[in-house]
Amino acid sequence: MNEILLSNEVIVYLLSETLLYLLLFIAFLVTLGLLKKWNFNAFTAEQFILENRSYLVMTIIFFVILLKVVLLPYFVYTIDNLSDLIPGAMCGAGVIKANGYGNPLLILKIIILFLSGLWLTVNSIDLGAKNYPYLKLKSWFFVFIFILLSTEFALDILYFTHIETSNPVSCCSVIFGQIGGANGLPFGLDIPKLMILFYLLFLLLVLAILADNALLTIVASILFASISYYAVVYVFGTYIYELPTHQCPFCMLQDHYYYIGYLVWGLLFLGVFFAIDSAIMYYFFKINSKALKKISLILLGLFVLLSSAYIAVYYIKNGVFL
Amino acid sequence: MMIEINSVNKIYNEGTPQAFEALKSIDMHIDEGEAIVLSGVSGSGKSTLLSLIAGLDKPSSGKIIVDGELISKLPDLHASAYRAKTVGVIFQHFNLLESLSVEENVMATLIPSGFDMITIQEMTRKSMALASISHKATTDVKSLSGGEKQRCAIARALVHEPKLILCDEPTANLDRANSLKFIEILHSLHNMGKTIIVATHDPLFESLSFVRRVIHMRDGAIGNE
Amino acid sequence: MLGKRLMNSTFLHFLTLLLFKQKSKHIGAVLISVIIIFLLSAVLFISSSLQHSLLSTLKTQADFSVSRVQAGKSVNTPLEWVDKIMEINGVSKVAPRVYGRYFFTPRENAFLVVGIDFFDEQNSEELKKLVEQLDLKTFLSSEGMLVGEGVKKFLSAHYFKDYFTFKTPQGSFKKVKISQTLPIKANLIANDMIIMPIDLAREIFGMEEDEVTDVTFNVPNDAEWDNIITKLHLMFYDVRVVEKREIKKAYENLYNYKGGLFLILYLVTITTFILILYQRYSMVYSTERKEIGILRAIGWSIKDILKLKFYENLTIVLVSFILGVILAYLYVFIWDAPLLSQIFLGSANLSNNVSFTPVVEFGLLGSIFLFYAVPFLAAVLIPAWKVAVTPPKEAML
Repeated sequence: MNEILLSNEVIVYLLSETLLYLLLFIAFLVTLGLLKKWNFNAFTAEQFILENRSYLVMTIIFFVILLKVVLLPYFVYTIDNLSDLIPGAMCGAGVIKANGYGNPLLILKIIILFLSGLWLTVNSIDLGAKNYPYLKLKSWFFVFIFILLSTEFALDILYFTHIETSNPVSCCSVIFGQIGGANGLPFGLDIPKLMILFYLLFLLLVLAILADNALLTIVASILFASISYYAVVYVFGTYIYELPTHQCPFCMLQDHYYYIGYLVWGLLFLGVFFAIDSAIMYYFFKINSKALKKISLILLGLFVLLSSAYIAVYYIKNGVFL
Repeated sequence: MMIEINSVNKIYNEGTPQAFEALKSIDMHIDEGEAIVLSGVSGSGKSTLLSLIAGLDKPSSGKIIVDGELISKLPDLHASAYRAKTVGVIFQHFNLLESLSVEENVMATLIPSGFDMITIQEMTRKSMALASISHKATTDVKSLSGGEKQRCAIARALVHEPKLILCDEPTANLDRANSLKFIEILHSLHNMGKTIIVATHDPLFESLSFVRRVIHMRDGAIGNE
Repeated sequence: MLGKRLMNSTFLHFLTLLLFKQKSKHIGAVLISVIIIFLLSAVLFISSSLQHSLLSTLKTQADFSVSRVQAGKSVNTPLEWVDKIMEINGVSKVAPRVYGRYFFTPRENAFLVVGIDFFDEQNSEELKKLVEQLDLKTFLSSEGMLVGEGVKKFLSAHYFKDYFTFKTPQGSFKKVKISQTLPIKANLIANDMIIMPIDLAREIFGMEEDEVTDVTFNVPNDAEWDNIITKLHLMFYDVRVVEKREIKKAYENLYNYKGGLFLILYLVTITTFILILYQRYSMVYSTERKEIGILRAIGWSIKDILKLKFYENLTIVLVSFILGVILAYLYVFIWDAPLLSQIFLGSANLSNNVSFTPVVEFGLLGSIFLFYAVPFLAAVLIPAWKVAVTPPKEAML
């Protein structure tokens, strides 16, 4: 445990998370005050101070989300570096599985980023109105996110303090691959069916966005995101590694694949986020944001293009598929 | 540019022993294009009233409506947009950014509005010409004379072509010659159709041709019209 | 939405103007920042460069080395083990080695004496290169040795300029010529090393012809590693096996440990730094408050002011970071880090002058950046907010 904690990256990571959590805690306390005493129609000096304090909350959240967007890839980078210290781990996949906290932590991080992005959208809309109509809503929303953030922080500490360098872990080929005879794909899909589903859902999502159908967009986004996960790990990944048995979401984040993983996962995440974001804006707040829709379409398009390109390039170079 | 002021009160340090009623139940109506003068000694509340109309402060109770918009209860984002679009304020102590040049001070108003650089430069040029300060465009404000600073402040207050001009004791730090020049500029602004409110106790303003009304204020209330 | 307004170029233009005209305000913060980043970067550059060199040397080493133990201590290993090991399946490049530490009494300094068979294929790339450059005939005919920089300097200081007389365990003296000095580039490893023909080494250490210090070999298939270790233990009851992967882990831990120590020191420094910053930026300088008040009065919203402060601080962070890193780079990789390098190399044995090979990874820079930027920005966030929300009227009085 000690070597883990003393590695430079882990120290930097935990330090940053701690500082951010402190700021968030302050924001939380202020939000509680806001929830208790907010009365927009009062002309008191106190109300005026509350309005100022709400700016503190949004500044902190904005700052934190900005840094968490940077810290997520940094977390992955830290994990990847730790794979040298843990027997059996060849990439981040093994390190994440070093104890039971790893997976929930990663998933929670992604969810938090997502919800924080939504919070910023609600905040934007709230500021645009003349009487802070969504102040209570966004405050409660933040309280909820804060609970998740506290869990994340606890998991951070638990995870890093419970990595045993003496216990060997499985490598990604065992976790994701077919070495153990595991199929891994849900609903008994095989590769061709997976690919068809992937492109179909992509089309569905694009149409939903263009048709301004908020509900369908949300549903299609979630479906597409899930399918994309499997598609990237089980198909696109294998073309990136040029090895049909190498199925791993983490290895593509390493330097010998030119860190392309960050781009692939990043484009997917952002594309889906903006799609859902614009859908929620439209459905709940009746605001149609063309810009957001455009961005999400572009990002999603790039994601599909990039992933497919690996297959195309391989086919062109070798004349066959894997 | 119609300004409606209904039962406006302003109490500082409310609820404490130092509570001070700066404005007591003010009612006022100002038409578009009108030029009025608020006169009274310092402490009479005229500056406070001006800052409320400018959206720089909020009343303790009552309503202020400018052009149909209730500005007394606007959140900051909208209040500042109101100031940046509709109001131009000329302060007693000029309140310029000393470390910047005249040009930069004038531009500052336009920066958050999202105009592109060329438009901003054009508007700045026009405004400086109007205030006769173009020849000092690149000089740092700290090396200007009192009269020149005033003209810079005027240029800044006009650059965004506001409909409402508010002046707080504009001639307090000027000599007579410059004060007269200032009044001339006000006159031309009035001719452009702008609504003008001047808060001052300078007797020069008591009997100006273009000023429709002189409202006397005393102890936070309106004396006589 | 957010993105568009954030990137307003006129805004940035105005900001740069403002910053430029008020640089004296921020000089203090920039100075301290640069110093901190410089020290931090220098330490990390040195440690990662050292680690890199060590690991790359390690790469060329054999996977395993075995020696005989007696009473828990390594003793001379029988040469016949070589044949036995060669018989194991999956083993390649079996090579015996003769080496040891020779103590120069009464000074208590030691040289690492390595004996190699100059005609054999060498395991290590470095040695291979060296041997290729030698004029073997002349070298072997005169009983000579190759010495590292540190050794050469040390011997000169003790009046041994062209040769050195070893004292063997049997009590006799052996005079050996100093034929050549090992290249400076290899100083990290070779500084206190002496390389000589294997038989000469045996003489100096009083070893028999059929004895060696240990036997090294490779096992290309890493799945076999654990198997091989078991086999070895079955073959010889008195064997000790040292695996390269353990050494690698040990080196990495060592550098993390030493690096970690420094990082803890920095934690203390940075905490102080944050406190100073918070204090300084909290002191509401009346000029800054007034200026912000003026901006608010002419129509800047709280959001605009916050944007201003954010960019302002970000610029300070970026400028300090770039300056600090560049200075550290120059210090470590161009000037070879005087002073700091001693702390890392531990001037325990012989004095060593190492030149660091430039190794800079983005991850390292990212770590330095985060380590500095997060505390800095976190510390100035609340003071910036405080200044942004002061009611304009108040600020202008």
